[in-house]
Amino acid sequence: MLANIRKITIYALIAMSCFFMLSLTGCKDYTFSLGMLNPKGLVTYHERKLFFDTLALMLIVVIPVIIMSFAFVYHYQVSHKVRDYKPNWSHSYFLEVIWWTIPCVIIVVLAILTWKKTHELDPYTRLPGYQDKPPMLIQAIALPWKWLFIYPEQNIATVNFLQIPIDQQVEFWITADNVAMSAFFIPQLGSQIFAMAGMRTRLHLIAEEIGTYNGLNTQYNGAGFSDMHFTVNVVQAEEMQTWIKQVKQSALSLSDANYDNLLKPSIGDSPQYFSSVEPELFDNVIMTYMHTFSATHPRENNNAMIEKE
Amino acid sequence: MHNAATIAHDHEQHHHHDGDSTDVFGFWLYILTDCILFGCLFATFIVLNDPSMHGPALKSYLDLHDILIETFLLLVSNLTFCLAILSIYKSKLFRAQLWLVLTFILGASFVYMEVTEFAHIAHEGFSWATSGQASSFFTLVGTHGLHVSFGLLWILVMIVQLPILKITHITKRRMTYLGLFWNFLDIVWIFVFTIVYLMGGI
Amino acid sequence: MLQNLFFGKLTLDVIPFHEPILIGVMAFMAIGAIAVIAALTYYKQWTYLWNEWICTIDHKKIGIMYLILSFVMLFRGFSDAIMMRLQQAMAAGSNAGYLPPEHFDQIFTAHGVIMIFFVAMPFMFALLNMVVPLQIGCRDVAYPYLNSLSFWLTFAGAMLCNISLVVGNFARTGWLSYPPLAELYYSPDVGVDYYIWSLQVAGVGTLLAGINFIATIIKMRCKGMTLMKMPIFVWSALCAMILVALAFPILTVTLALLAFDRMFDMHFFSEFAGGNVMLYVNLIWAWGHPEVYILILPAFGVFSEVVATFSQKKLFGYTTMVWAIGIITFLSFIVWLHHFFTMGAGANVNAFFGITTMIIAIPTGVKVFNWLFTMYKGRIILSTPMLWVTAFFTTFAIGGMTGVLTAVPPIDFQVHNSLFLIAHFHNVIIGGVLFGYFAGLIYWFPKSFGFQLNEKLGIYAFIFWVVGFYIAFMPLYILGLNGFMRRVNHYSEVAYQPYFIVAAFGALLIGIGIILQVIQLFVSIKNRHALRDKTGDLWNGRTLEWSVSSPAPMYNFAVLPTVHEIDQFWADKQRHLSEGHVHPKEMHYEPIHMPRNTPAGFIIAMFAGAVGFALIWQMLIPGILAFIGMIATVIIRTFSKDIDYYIDAETVKKTELAYLRGIV
Repeated sequence: MLANIRKITIYALIAMSCFFMLSLTGCKDYTFSLGMLNPKGLVTYHERKLFFDTLALMLIVVIPVIIMSFAFVYHYQVSHKVRDYKPNWSHSYFLEVIWWTIPCVIIVVLAILTWKKTHELDPYTRLPGYQDKPPMLIQAIALPWKWLFIYPEQNIATVNFLQIPIDQQVEFWITADNVAMSAFFIPQLGSQIFAMAGMRTRLHLIAEEIGTYNGLNTQYNGAGFSDMHFTVNVVQAEEMQTWIKQVKQSALSLSDANYDNLLKPSIGDSPQYFSSVEPELFDNVIMTYMHTFSATHPRENNNAMIEKE
Repeated sequence: MHNAATIAHDHEQHHHHDGDSTDVFGFWLYILTDCILFGCLFATFIVLNDPSMHGPALKSYLDLHDILIETFLLLVSNLTFCLAILSIYKSKLFRAQLWLVLTFILGASFVYMEVTEFAHIAHEGFSWATSGQASSFFTLVGTHGLHVSFGLLWILVMIVQLPILKITHITKRRMTYLGLFWNFLDIVWIFVFTIVYLMGGI
Repeated sequence: MLQNLFFGKLTLDVIPFHEPILIGVMAFMAIGAIAVIAALTYYKQWTYLWNEWICTIDHKKIGIMYLILSFVMLFRGFSDAIMMRLQQAMAAGSNAGYLPPEHFDQIFTAHGVIMIFFVAMPFMFALLNMVVPLQIGCRDVAYPYLNSLSFWLTFAGAMLCNISLVVGNFARTGWLSYPPLAELYYSPDVGVDYYIWSLQVAGVGTLLAGINFIATIIKMRCKGMTLMKMPIFVWSALCAMILVALAFPILTVTLALLAFDRMFDMHFFSEFAGGNVMLYVNLIWAWGHPEVYILILPAFGVFSEVVATFSQKKLFGYTTMVWAIGIITFLSFIVWLHHFFTMGAGANVNAFFGITTMIIAIPTGVKVFNWLFTMYKGRIILSTPMLWVTAFFTTFAIGGMTGVLTAVPPIDFQVHNSLFLIAHFHNVIIGGVLFGYFAGLIYWFPKSFGFQLNEKLGIYAFIFWVVGFYIAFMPLYILGLNGFMRRVNHYSEVAYQPYFIVAAFGALLIGIGIILQVIQLFVSIKNRHALRDKTGDLWNGRTLEWSVSSPAPMYNFAVLPTVHEIDQFWADKQRHLSEGHVHPKEMHYEPIHMPRNTPAGFIIAMFAGAVGFALIWQMLIPGILAFIGMIATVIIRTFSKDIDYYIDAETVKKTELAYLRGIV
């Protein structure tokens, strides 16, 4: 019986390690990754570094634990008839001090690191090295089930498409309208943060490489959640200017009526471009929630906003 | 496998189910959980009672005069309940019942006044559906009122039960529970009075 | 009008006749129910079922009923898991999979709710009921009638959750039903109401059980068993139950407020009229974080017992263990914010909660070292419970490590809501909680049923479970690091698909593991005579539960034990040969005072379930009637004088001698 177990365990271990190797080779192929393993912005780069630093710190304890667990179970089996049997040995100041101290030291190191990095990478504050450079402002509104981006300084807006210049710190103001709590996230460029109706959250990030990235909502918010993606285009500053001019030519403008249309639930919308935006739209969206004293959205009468199946 | 060590026993252990201290301990634990329940409701009230919030303010609807009467009703009902317990311990059943009836009347008046107050406030346009603040006010005060109503039902049961089961350790224990419960509701009311009415109303 | 008062929103339309799968499920459930009813009638077992099980207030039987509930619900929860894995393995690129979001979203919600509330919690209470009173040397829990009520409330909650399968639908909001999604505006159907009321009914049951076990452990320990001489499992149970008593009232309030929002148009958590969504998120996690420690602490207790027994060695560092449990209990209340770092709280707040979370790793790590050094210089018997413990070390170490990783706020900004998080908490809940409970179940099974489980099948089940677990969840870590989120119904990047296929294969292996466990159970029942535990001390145990027969007699201990040290029973066995002991025949037995069975708990809980159902469908009159029925049952019960009886000394003596003859 015992021999059987051993055999099966060994096979299982081999199978498992093969599988790990396979997954690791998968990991190596970073280019396919749309996440933190393949950073394209300062924030994600730091976050990935922090991830592996923390991992290394933890492994100081985890690896010995795993080795000891297998070694002890194997070595002290009854069938091995180890002479060294101490049924009543159950206490040792020396050992216990060691294993209170080592985790404590590791956690202290980690705590200092955490404190420092949490402040450095706080989504609300300007990024390290860019404190005195004014960021470009973009207002993002989570709508059912799409993203609206307003460029207030340029007075243009887009749906499900975001274009930002390279090496330029961007500050996002984020809220939600007529959709349950969502979260704004561009994994390769920076952190994620909730989008909540009636509240404004903020996020800073910098793109450091030209390319097209995936942006998405990470907080489940209903039937259209899985398709609430947007495209992020990082371009040179000059190209950004040309693009803004192009959008300015768009026939659509983000009028009140057009915003009403956006409030209707829809899934998998293709990008839209608006040549101008109602002034103060973002603030008004937030204030709607402050001033409304009913259970439904005040614009609900304008159109059927929740399509009941 | 029995041996000398397991032989020791004592007679009291056989009646452990009647162990009053165990049972009262359990009731204290229940009160603890109820404290947390009220704690959450208080926290909710404080969070939603943000003065910077738009909408109608609770303050203008509160009538402290009635609340003071309610407070006295509840405090006096506590006194009468204590007198009921004293009578139980003196084995005076009828007198205990009388005190319980008085307690019931006082408690019922409290509930009646509270319901009237609610109806009045709601009628004036500050109903629980008005705002988060209103919801938390009605829920916090209402939960206390609901507890008092359950206490009243319990008092009724005790009034009927005492002559049937007589004064035994079981009924005594139940009176102890009820007393703890009734006292606890008083203490909660003190907090309601302070936090909702005094701090919110003045 | 009258129809409205009686049936509220309930009409025949709510039964999904147009859904072939659900009709299949309904038919299956109906056939199952008819088969059970027919069998009970044919074998004339109705009175047996009623008297011996439904009315029972014996903690050992209540434990078994919790166990059955937990396993039945495991099947439902696991079916949900398989369905999700299949959907995600299929739905890549242009393929939308076989589950539209409206089904998929119900399934992941139900999976979470069922696995936590109706599998893990009943499983924990099963172990507590089966073991705690025996380990502390008493005859029952402090309030046996309340214990029965607690179980039946949990049962009623689980049934409400199951009814949603065929009448109406379940929530599509995720397992914690965050508003505003859970508000009437975004979720107008009854799904969230099912969620609220099934959890509310079960939650009250849990809260009462928590109070019951605290009182039991504090007040009913046998003579000489001071707090620092309690078995570690009892310590872990005590701390878990303290957490229950402190955390579950928060859940009750939170769910009630959400219900008020939906029923009375209140504005606690609505986006409008001064409601506060984050208030809900804070409250639910102020319950939710302690909840996971409620689950893991008893598992830690099981590991401590199993490691010591199967290493045939005293548990290393008893005092440290107790302190570690205490520290974890305390810390579990000051870490809840780590579930929503992405809310946008300041860096100071996030860093504070991140660090408090990491600190929990210290006592947990210490516990792991203590277990390891319990094995060191022991004589390890690799029976199935010990195998689960062995698998636990590695799995839990990995899970703990990823837990600390997610506790660092900047890392959490990347992995929050991602499959990395999903992999992490399955890693600790399966690798920690479930492995522990399985170890405990196999370990204490003979104590409850009188026979052992088949070892060979147990080993096969173990291998499928562990290998399946790694294959199912390691790919999720990788996907999470690549920015793949949870609760995703379909995705366009085909490159992810292989990982999901591997994960689905892993889930399949776990499924085989579960099936093997069922086969193991049936084979063991069939061979129960050969597997019988005659001595009552099958594993050469250390604590008091092994000093009585298997299954334990209904009064547990003929004579209440006295202890002088930790592991008294083990110590007694060591001294046994050198010291004389009283011959059982000469022992003096006394009549034993027992509480009498009562149907009150069952009836109250069924009424509570009916109240819940009426509230879900807003059936006014039935709701009021059921509520009156519930209160009336409570009151009528208080008038009952026939609540206890005595087992006479002669019967006790006979039972004990029969058991002792069995040993010889």
